[in-house]
Amino acid sequence: MSDLNEIEVLLVEDNPHDAEMTLAALRKHHLANRLHHVKDGAEALAFLFATGGYSGRKVECGPKVVLLDLKLPKVDGLEVLRKVKSDERTRATPVVVLTSSSEEQDVLESYRLGVNSYIVKPVDFEKFAESMRHLGLYWLLLNRSPR
Amino acid sequence: MTPAVLVVDDSLTVRMDLDEAFRNGGFATTLCATAAAARDAMERGPFVLVVLDVLLPDADGVDFLRELKGAPGTAKVPVMLLSTESEVRDRIRGLKTGAEEYVGKPYDANYVVARARELVRALQPIPPEGATPRILVVDDSATFRCTLKAALEARGYEVTTAESGEEGLRLAAGLRPRAVIVDGVLPGMDGASVVRRLRQDAALRRTPTILLTASEDPKGELQALDAGADAYVRKEEELSVILTRLSAVLRSSDASRSVEAASSLLGPKKVLAVDDSPTYLQELALQLRGEGYEPILARSGEEALELLAVQPVDCILLDVLMPGISGHEACRRIKSSPGWREIPTLMLTAREERADLIEGINAGADDYIPKSSEFDVLKARLRAQLRRKQFEDENRHIREQLLQKELEAAQARASRELAETRARLLADLEAKNKELESFSYSVSHDLRAPLRAIDGFSRMLLEGHAERLDAEGKRLLGVVVENARRMGQLIDDLLRFSRLGRTALRRTRLDMAGLARSVAAELQAAAPGRRVELVVRDLPPAHADPSLVRQVFQNLIGNALKYTRTRETARIEVGFRTEGLDSEYSVSDNGVGFEMEYAHKLFGVFQRLHSSEEFEGSGVGLALVKRIVERHGGTVRAEGKPGEGATFRFTLPEGEPGA
Repeated sequence: MSDLNEIEVLLVEDNPHDAEMTLAALRKHHLANRLHHVKDGAEALAFLFATGGYSGRKVECGPKVVLLDLKLPKVDGLEVLRKVKSDERTRATPVVVLTSSSEEQDVLESYRLGVNSYIVKPVDFEKFAESMRHLGLYWLLLNRSPR
Repeated sequence: MTPAVLVVDDSLTVRMDLDEAFRNGGFATTLCATAAAARDAMERGPFVLVVLDVLLPDADGVDFLRELKGAPGTAKVPVMLLSTESEVRDRIRGLKTGAEEYVGKPYDANYVVARARELVRALQPIPPEGATPRILVVDDSATFRCTLKAALEARGYEVTTAESGEEGLRLAAGLRPRAVIVDGVLPGMDGASVVRRLRQDAALRRTPTILLTASEDPKGELQALDAGADAYVRKEEELSVILTRLSAVLRSSDASRSVEAASSLLGPKKVLAVDDSPTYLQELALQLRGEGYEPILARSGEEALELLAVQPVDCILLDVLMPGISGHEACRRIKSSPGWREIPTLMLTAREERADLIEGINAGADDYIPKSSEFDVLKARLRAQLRRKQFEDENRHIREQLLQKELEAAQARASRELAETRARLLADLEAKNKELESFSYSVSHDLRAPLRAIDGFSRMLLEGHAERLDAEGKRLLGVVVENARRMGQLIDDLLRFSRLGRTALRRTRLDMAGLARSVAAELQAAAPGRRVELVVRDLPPAHADPSLVRQVFQNLIGNALKYTRTRETARIEVGFRTEGLDSEYSVSDNGVGFEMEYAHKLFGVFQRLHSSEEFEGSGVGLALVKRIVERHGGTVRAEGKPGEGATFRFTLPEGEPGA
């Protein structure tokens, strides 16, 4: 992963165990090759908008999909979603919200902000891995974002 | 601007007479002989009052009255009807049509003007308290009058003076002064009599009075107070003493002033006289008018009752012997009507028989007067009855006002307390709801993350390192995974249960049979290989929240499947029966059942009747069912027998429209 412009999946997840499981699930289906993992909302925004430590990136070469946890330190997931969806350069980047909550308010707010997909992380790892497989197939292999 | 009165009468004499009286009374007048002329006049100028003859050459006065009262521009102008006193029909028609007053001919011009003034005043807003208080000074000495007047005016009072007791009374009646200062020694009527007369007048009864006297006579003060004066001042004293006493009596009278607002207590007393003899009636009317009463005449009991319906009166004089209904019968009817019961009723009789008197009193008469006696006797008894009535009216009035005030205060207090309590409860409730919301939010996030890790990493271990685990190791990890999964389920159930109280019901017309069948099919698909005879009867539809009722069926049918697991063939039936207005739905099975003595425990959260070894479950399902049914306003109950099966019944009453 030498070239950050080649990143296909941006995983935004602060819980190391959840991150490891997500990676394992994606790896199982060979979807984790070009993945970058950031641990809070601020770093996610820096990556996506090519600022701070990521100033070498090009904003236009966004990832094919962002997997976004909602509960994050510093800048929370809904805020990241809002920023991504309100900027011309990043608006087309698909964002999938991953969260342990099925609270209605979060779902509604995410859809209002323009989320592309929404996955409630189940306790059951098998189910989670299955969701991940569907997700990878759809966003990485079938779906072509406008460039 | 001078207030203008329109006088409509075809008699020139009447027009001239009223014209003079009204002009002297400070009104401008317009005189008309016909309804047509009156109609023109009405269009030209605003009038504060119309005096209208009932008999006009070109129209019926009552028809013209109806015309006036029907037009928005003139409906509010008070109308005083003038007609022959003995024409009871006219009076009834006139008052029914909306006339404010009816004066019988022959009339007293001064009375007409005085009454006109009252009617006009009644329409005007009450002058604000605190306007310059007017003081009436009655003294025969011109020098003293001038000195006192100057002194009072310097203190900011408005002063009117009179030189005799008679003039003073006349002025007092018209001016309603805030206080009266009267000399004890006057030509003609003396000061004490003036005070006494003031005390008899309903309108002036509460006017503070100060009696002045030149004499050193120690009895002077006694006499003054006996007459009802509020204060007594010797004339030799300095003027400042009078002024001080005046402000003192004004202060103490201010407190009670507000009570006397009722205009019904003022004005001349109306006396209804009922007799079949026109001669006697005319004589009676003359006598009554001489006493300052306003007579209203009726020639029969029937007429009297009809009149009473439109004309409030202060007293009734009833002849006993009349054609048609008798005086006693009329009296009985008057006394049995709630609106008239309080009117003093005096029976007049030509005979002086004990039996008559007893019957009269039994009929509810307040007094019984032989016609043979002098009119003076009648007048004295009439006065006594009116005084009693007046006293009662005032007392009742004061009592009612006090009661009203208390009631208002109590109501205001109660509604304030209620509003405060409600606001507090509402704020409490909102805070609790918020707390609960954030609690369940963090439960759903934070409690599940470690579980997910337990499950996920155990599986990763099983998958990635299976070759290094023996069978026992794999079994132990399986237990870990299974328990993590169960705890996840438990958290989900609890969250759903707690969220149920906070989300709004979304009622729609619901095909209950369709819903039950779809739930049953889903659940059966999840338990293949079992022999289940599941019947869903044709259930009546409900008006309920589909996603919630789905959960009810999921739990009840799910339970039925679970607890029939030990049966070779499970029999499950979803049915209903009609209970009163509601349909009672039921899910019954031939499963393990339960003992009725534990039935009440079934619906509590975490209450289980079986060990989780025997039958798995979180103990939330039936609590959820109960809460959903109760949120729909329904009830749920369970019947069962160990080893024979269980039946769960619930109702879903129609919601309030819009609920």
